[in-house]
Amino acid sequence: MKMRIYSLIAKEFPFFLVMPALIWQVLFFYVPLLWIVYLSITHVGAPFFNFTLAHYTGLFEAAFFKIIARSLFLAFVNAVICLLIAYPIAYFAARSPRNWRNFFLFLLILPFWTSFVVHVYAWFYVLDTNGLINSTLLKIGLIKEPLAMVNTLFAVFLVMIYCYLPFMVMPLYSALEKFNWTLLEASMDLGATPAKTFFKITVPMTLPSIKTGFFLVFVPSFGEFVIPALLGGSKKMYVGSLIYHYFLVARDAVTGAAFTCLSSLILVAACLIIAWGFRKIFAGSGGVAQ
Amino acid sequence: MRPWYSKAILPTFVGLAYLFLYIPIIVLVVLSFNAVALNLGWQGFSLQWYYELFTSAEIWQALTNSLVVAFCAVALSLLMSVVLVCYGSPLLHSIRWFFYGTLIVPEVVLAVSLLSVFSFLSIPLGLTTLIVSHVLLGLGYTVPIVYARYISLDNRLLEASLDLGATPTQTFFKITLPLLAPALLASSLLVFIISLDDFILSFFCSGATAQTLPMFIFSVIRSGSSPVVNALSTVMLMISSVLVFIFCALQARTRIL
Repeated sequence: MKMRIYSLIAKEFPFFLVMPALIWQVLFFYVPLLWIVYLSITHVGAPFFNFTLAHYTGLFEAAFFKIIARSLFLAFVNAVICLLIAYPIAYFAARSPRNWRNFFLFLLILPFWTSFVVHVYAWFYVLDTNGLINSTLLKIGLIKEPLAMVNTLFAVFLVMIYCYLPFMVMPLYSALEKFNWTLLEASMDLGATPAKTFFKITVPMTLPSIKTGFFLVFVPSFGEFVIPALLGGSKKMYVGSLIYHYFLVARDAVTGAAFTCLSSLILVAACLIIAWGFRKIFAGSGGVAQ
Repeated sequence: MRPWYSKAILPTFVGLAYLFLYIPIIVLVVLSFNAVALNLGWQGFSLQWYYELFTSAEIWQALTNSLVVAFCAVALSLLMSVVLVCYGSPLLHSIRWFFYGTLIVPEVVLAVSLLSVFSFLSIPLGLTTLIVSHVLLGLGYTVPIVYARYISLDNRLLEASLDLGATPTQTFFKITLPLLAPALLASSLLVFIISLDDFILSFFCSGATAQTLPMFIFSVIRSGSSPVVNALSTVMLMISSVLVFIFCALQARTRIL
């Protein structure tokens, strides 16, 4: 009898070994996400499965959609600017000699792996009224009075770009590193201008990575709340800061849950529209790449 | 003919971009050695902020918390993902996208949903909840990395080992694990750095009792600047750069990612 149990355990052992990771993921990831959705559609204090949409009706106001629109705008512009800055960096790093590539990469991901709270903090010393930029400009004589840069949209954008740039560079670099550069020579040989070669060959070939990078920047910067909270002043609300406000300041978890679900839905919709836009813009040029 | 300056445009642009990346860091490091507390420019070299840093009880406490959480996150997520990958059936392997969710959902959403579950079950917030959330974060990185290395292994080695009479357990410890080692080291470094630097999840899931280093810095920024934080940030930068250096060297040698 005892032997049989042992052999049974030995046979089933892998199954029990495999479970912890799955249980952890389900229990602390999928259950909480469903819980938020559940919270947002049930009556407070009522027995289970008493559904209502009351928490959402309060959210259909211009003020809330303005906040969501502002976050979408911030995330979109951030992703676009990151793409425009990251592409040349990745291109340059991928085309440099092999020994230098790892060095450029190291320099690039070093700021990325140091706490971004530290980055935001460091930018204070650069942007402050007696920070680096203002004191330099005053010394040169370019300006008479210090510019107010902290607590403006400019500061938020600058630091957002700074913090999210590596997310864009990494996928682009890994695509460009594998890129077959002889294709460019072929294109030039056949009479295309450098610009035409770039847009007809290089960009379509790296399109999957452009998409990956775009969403890697777009999605987290939609929910960003640390940078606006520290550098944007207190006047302008963003999705992240409103969620934070509901859960940790106002202690109104139900409305917070409803707002979280609503903004997540809009985020998903925005991602679908952007993905559709990518397909639309590059519909014709994909054929060249394959 | 292309104009002479067209060759210089790209390097110049990249140089400026790197300058943009490093200016704040350089300013911070330089000011951590500044003799005065106020942001009034360079006033002379001094190590007094480092002295204050190493004598501040609050910072030591935050550092201890950060390290405990990071080590637990690395150990648990690595252990769970290794057994999942090595002992999982093909069916389980096919649902590994299950673990990618953590990387897709905005961190704030994840943080508030965890928080609301904890408060519904009236679990007190503290180090435990912090570790739970960081292990979750870690799984999102360790499972894909370990899996990628595992499927690239030469299956014949494992078959040979079993053929020559080693038990599955012996094979696991003598063959599989050493072959997985680079991926294990890389992913543990990655999770360690991510856990050490994570702010949003920690902010929501730790309550008032367990403060980590990024949270400490955040609270200091809210109440104005402090030169001790400059020194702290410089030390954190040093630690991170050593870890990143090891990570890059590993990656260049084994191409795991």
